[in-house]
Amino acid sequence: MRLQFVLTEVLQGLRRNLSMVVSVVLVTFVSLTFVGAAALLQTQVTKLKGDWYDLVEVSVFLCPTGSTAPTCADGEATPEQVDALEQVIDTELADVVANTYFESKGDAFEAFTQMYPDGYQGTQLTEDDMQASFRLKLVDPEQYQVVDDVLEGRAGVEVVEDQREVFEPLFLALGRASLLAAGLAGVMLLAAVLLITTTIRLSAVSRRRETGIMRLVGASNLFVQLPFMLEGAIAALVGALLAVGGLWLAVQYLVTDWLQDSVDWVAYVDVGDVLLIAPLLIGIAVLLAVVSSVVTLNRYTRV
Amino acid sequence: MIRFENVSKVYARGARPALDDVSVDVSRGEFVFLVGASGSGKSTFLRLVLREERPTGGSVYVAGRDLSRLSSWKVPSLRRSIGVVFQDFRLLPNKTVHENVAFALQVIGKPRHTIRTTVPEVLEMVGLDGKEKRLPHELSGGEQQRVAIARAFVNRPQILLADEPTGNLDPTTSLGIMRLLDRINRTGTTVVMATHDDEIVNEMRKRVVELSTGSVVRDEVDAVYGERESILPLVGQTPVLDAPGRGARAVVVPRVQVSPEPADLEAERAAEAAAARAASQPPAAQTTTEQVTPEPAVPEPAAPEPAGSSADDVVQQVLREHERVRAGREA
Repeated sequence: MRLQFVLTEVLQGLRRNLSMVVSVVLVTFVSLTFVGAAALLQTQVTKLKGDWYDLVEVSVFLCPTGSTAPTCADGEATPEQVDALEQVIDTELADVVANTYFESKGDAFEAFTQMYPDGYQGTQLTEDDMQASFRLKLVDPEQYQVVDDVLEGRAGVEVVEDQREVFEPLFLALGRASLLAAGLAGVMLLAAVLLITTTIRLSAVSRRRETGIMRLVGASNLFVQLPFMLEGAIAALVGALLAVGGLWLAVQYLVTDWLQDSVDWVAYVDVGDVLLIAPLLIGIAVLLAVVSSVVTLNRYTRV
Repeated sequence: MIRFENVSKVYARGARPALDDVSVDVSRGEFVFLVGASGSGKSTFLRLVLREERPTGGSVYVAGRDLSRLSSWKVPSLRRSIGVVFQDFRLLPNKTVHENVAFALQVIGKPRHTIRTTVPEVLEMVGLDGKEKRLPHELSGGEQQRVAIARAFVNRPQILLADEPTGNLDPTTSLGIMRLLDRINRTGTTVVMATHDDEIVNEMRKRVVELSTGSVVRDEVDAVYGERESILPLVGQTPVLDAPGRGARAVVVPRVQVSPEPADLEAERAAEAAAARAASQPPAAQTTTEQVTPEPAVPEPAAPEPAGSSADDVVQQVLREHERVRAGREA
């Protein structure tokens, strides 16, 4: 009885100010889509980092002949220098480095000829054009700086290179995009709160007669306010569901079906990730509605 | 039932108090008129009883509750024991008569079967049997007020507050409403009615509490409205302006004659018939359960069947038939 009555009231309220309800749905839809997009971008960054950081190494390039670097003034790195470096890596960097691999000029040339059997851009190179290097696999790829501090500037070391740097611009771009999305989401969420507040207020004012009588005949506070709360919550929930649906479609068609086909060596977010963030979006929507209705209703329908 | 102990109410700081040290005691089953000029504090009195306002001084006790100590979540339960009727009826325009009355029960969570039985009962009592499906704008003012009374009384409150219930109605229709309120009072319900209508007060001869600028200036049993203050002494010669027919009895002022709507008369007749039936029924058949003091043994003087016109006889016959069918269904 009570439930049915409340639901009838809710339906009537939704019908009565339909245009406001629609605008609430749309605003929550757009704002939560931005929230979801920010979350998905973050997921994407984490995925890429997890994937690629397993592969990246720190390369310690040793002095080749004719290098202009100040540490290479004595010419090509001697075997003694190489041994000394290996010693340092094994002792001072034992905690940081998981794996050490020494690539001699010969190894480097071999790898080069395998990759470019016809020469690089039309030039045939010889073994002497190659450069010997240590390839260090780090326990934690983020600890590149430690390796750099220890090895940079030692005799025989031309330059220490972190392969991660190659990815940095990409991650930076993704990070900024997700920040931007989060910022927009913030603004839109504010708009959503204000709009839901206005909608509930309108609804409360247009039903002042009813609520006045309800209060007079002794309806409980909850009973008077519940229909309004439900109205806000339903509108916000529909917006959230639309946002989840929109993100699902975007991921399915833009990422899974299109991006993954054209650039297939990258791990992408998939619809599973959308489902993971769906509870977050719905939670935010319900929270929005509850907060705005509690604030509004205490002012407009107090007993 | 309602006790005011040195109650004061000041709305805005520094303003003249709306009520100033008012002490009134209304016992169970009483009928009290609250009279006084506009702004004398009648509405504030009623609002304090409903705890729409809280007194700035003194204590208010209603139905055994100390309202100054009543926490706000218990206010709904207080209001369930009070029915309220207003001058402007306050019906819901998009709901039918039946829905309007049922609304009061729905919103306090009464089960559906209770609503199905009590609403027709109370509608019959106020004389609106057969008009359940009408919308408020399809009814006359008197009938609308009857719906409002039905809504206020459907939960069988211990107290009925009426804030100028006849203020919008013509004298004859007002009389019908007063009979109805009197009938409700006889079921043991305490009735407090704020009014300006001197004719009604004089005719009913009930207890009168007169307020003037927030203080009780008179509290008499079996009283009359009292003399109007001559606020415009210079216009006293033309009493039409202030109080037609009063103060200058020598001057015969033709009063506007209003003949009530036939529908209102019919409603009144139906209500009286219902009351007569209720009075003649054994008390066991009374369905009003809670806090009903025994019906006065004497049937209402106004209740006997209106004799005369054959239309009345037909109405009575139909009603009696109706009753028989209903009794048969219940058996």
